[in-house]
Amino acid sequence: MKNKWSSLPLQGKISVIYIYANVMILIVNIILLMGINSMTKEIDKVYQGNLHLNEVSEALSGVQDSMTSYLSVKTTDSLENYYRNEQIYREMVQELNGKVTGAGFDRMERNIQNMSERYLEAVNQTVEAKRGRNVEKYRVRYENATQLYQYISTYINSLNNEQFKHNTENYTELSETFKYFEFVSILIMFFVIIGNVGLIIKLAGDIVSPLKHLAGQADEVAKGNFEIELSEVGTQDEIGIVTGAFNQMVTSIRKYIETIRQSMEVERALKEKELMMEAHLKDAQLKYLQAQINPHFLFNTLNAGAQLAMMEGADRTYQYVQNMAEFFRYNVKKGEETVSISEEIELVDNYIYILNVRFSGDIHFEKKIDETLLHVPMPSMILQPIVENCVNHGIREMAGEGKIVLSVYRIDDVACISIKDNGVGMSEETIRKVLSGTYREEEMAAGSNGIGMDNVIGRLKLFTESEDVMTIVSEGENKGTEVIIYLQIKEREEEDV
Amino acid sequence: MEQKQAKKNNFTLLLIMTMVFIVVTAIVGIIVFRIYIGNFRQTGDTKTYSRYYVMIVDDRKDSFWQAVYQGAYEAGQKENIYVELLGENLSRDYEKTDLMRIAIASDVDGIIVVADESDLMTELIDEAAAEGIPVVTLYSDNTKSKRCSYVGIGSYNLGREYGRQVLQIEESRKSRKESADGGSEDGTDGSPANTEESNDPLKVTVLVNAHAEDSLQNILCSGIQETIDMEKGDDTRIEMTLVSVDESNAFSVEESIRDIFMTSDIPDIIVCLNELTTTCAYQTVVDYNRVGQVDILGYYDSETILKAIERNVIYATVSIDTMQMGRSCVDAISEYHALGNTSQYFTADISLVNKKNVSGYLEGGDTNEK
Repeated sequence: MKNKWSSLPLQGKISVIYIYANVMILIVNIILLMGINSMTKEIDKVYQGNLHLNEVSEALSGVQDSMTSYLSVKTTDSLENYYRNEQIYREMVQELNGKVTGAGFDRMERNIQNMSERYLEAVNQTVEAKRGRNVEKYRVRYENATQLYQYISTYINSLNNEQFKHNTENYTELSETFKYFEFVSILIMFFVIIGNVGLIIKLAGDIVSPLKHLAGQADEVAKGNFEIELSEVGTQDEIGIVTGAFNQMVTSIRKYIETIRQSMEVERALKEKELMMEAHLKDAQLKYLQAQINPHFLFNTLNAGAQLAMMEGADRTYQYVQNMAEFFRYNVKKGEETVSISEEIELVDNYIYILNVRFSGDIHFEKKIDETLLHVPMPSMILQPIVENCVNHGIREMAGEGKIVLSVYRIDDVACISIKDNGVGMSEETIRKVLSGTYREEEMAAGSNGIGMDNVIGRLKLFTESEDVMTIVSEGENKGTEVIIYLQIKEREEEDV
Repeated sequence: MEQKQAKKNNFTLLLIMTMVFIVVTAIVGIIVFRIYIGNFRQTGDTKTYSRYYVMIVDDRKDSFWQAVYQGAYEAGQKENIYVELLGENLSRDYEKTDLMRIAIASDVDGIIVVADESDLMTELIDEAAAEGIPVVTLYSDNTKSKRCSYVGIGSYNLGREYGRQVLQIEESRKSRKESADGGSEDGTDGSPANTEESNDPLKVTVLVNAHAEDSLQNILCSGIQETIDMEKGDDTRIEMTLVSVDESNAFSVEESIRDIFMTSDIPDIIVCLNELTTTCAYQTVVDYNRVGQVDILGYYDSETILKAIERNVIYATVSIDTMQMGRSCVDAISEYHALGNTSQYFTADISLVNKKNVSGYLEGGDTNEK
């Protein structure tokens, strides 16, 4: 039943409620009307007895009159009349109550019945005597019959009177009851209507409440709050359909918002990365510009110096100046590009050469390179600052011959570039600080090109999009330091392709 | 979800309750209505009786006859007989003879009639007897008829009782006079008073029914007379007269009694032989301011009469066991039906009520009336 109810369309539901309420009122009305009807019948019955008695009285008069008429004129008509009236009266009298009861009416009816029998007998005898022309007899019998007639008349009249009195009392009582009944009827109607109204309010509320809830939710959504609890679809009517559709809509909107939010986040991250890269680059460039005030000019002049040395036959000078020029040119040219490992190694070569000239060749530079990895791309200005750090912090502060080993090798699909010195080494804490970028050395030391380790690490991270770009290994004091850079080969290659 | 379920349940409950309310209202309404109408139709006694006796009396409103009827009615109820005071509900006031004819024509099972010695009454009683309806004469008989039984009071005994009361009154008057005379004449000899007394006899008037042809009155009167004659002292002179009271129509009794007081010869004692004359005599004595001078010997113990005794207007009255009277009538007819004959004569007990015992009757009377 409940399922049927909930699957009814809205129109059906409203109709059912309306019909239900009306049918209830109709039923009660019919019941009350039936009550009133039977009450009216009772009231009608009150005077029926009187009516009947009047008929009896008339029939009695009919008998008496027709007898008198026959006695005086003796026509066939009057005789027929008499027989007819006698028959009617006899039948009527038969209907009367013949029992003796405590009720006065019943006894009176009984007496009327008995007297009537005697009367009819007397009348019959009178008529017979008249027919037999027995004048003496019929006169006496006539008087006898007339006397009985008068008694019966009196009895009927009295009975009628008594009944009327009684009926009037009954009538009064009945009409009072009727009033009471009316009052009760109104009361019942009132209760039924209250019940009905309650029912209608309840049912209408039940129908409308999901709509109200839906409206509230729609309002929330309109205000921009999508985090509402979705209402259950309880019914299969129009409201249920609308609720379902609304729920679907809210869910979809939530999903879209989530998608948009995610893509925006990705975009934001990308942008951030870009910006950071740019910022780091700018930082590096600025440092270069600070350090090499006019590399072009410097490198041109150096070139001019190399030409001069060649013309003068000073080959070593030429070589030196040429290397310096190469070094600076690399700086100028590759400042903002992605380069290959080989190019970076070339720069390191130049740098070492310069240093060796400067410090009269006390740095031994050794290379162990896997040739297949030379084309692997990497950001520029990475290896040189590391080597510079090795020289400045590792080798220069030690006694004896400094040694730097540069190895490029492959572990799976990662290209590893290791720069190892035999210098003073680094403490664990320093390594941690350097890797986390919190180590701020007294930069701008003599001979530095100004690019710090944090810059190098930052750029590597941005380039490889991975946190795991560098490890620094030092086995302890005076046992040297090894810096290893990890570059993902595959991705680079794919990108190249 | 549970809440929702509860809501649904509430809703169903409400629905069911409305239905139940309507159904219950309808059913209860119909039942109450039926019961009410049923009660309404059955107003009065619907019990069916096996026999039907009628009682025909002179004056149905008279409390004496009412009391007798009550006795008969109650006795009848016990035997499943309905006793009706005939003519009560009729629009016309019929004579006893007419009522007799009606009773015969109605073929009742028994007639109790306050008869008289008229030939017509004899004829009617005989007619009834011929129809097989037993007739009991009540209070006054019709000796010539074929009535099956007579229920009355011992008239001679009643007369004797009245006679004794007359003598008592005479005694008390004499002693009152003597003491009065003694008081006035300062202890002189009583003989002058005696002579005066002897010169002025005590006048006793008995009010009799002018049209009554029955012998009861005569027996009663002779009872009074004989008692007085036998028991009076030698120096007592009592003069008894019979005054006829016309009871033929409704107001004649009162007029007849007033007529007595209009004459110069006002009696000292009035003896009344029925309730109506007693009440009338009492009222007249009060009206003519003769209280103390005229003593009334009454008949029957209605409340008015008892109160009059209490106020010293009526000297004494006789109380008749009316219930017993009524009962005897019914018993007589029933016996006749059962056995074919019955005792010819039933008497009801009488007792005297005077100032001494009136208070008991007043209380008892009250309870009786209730």
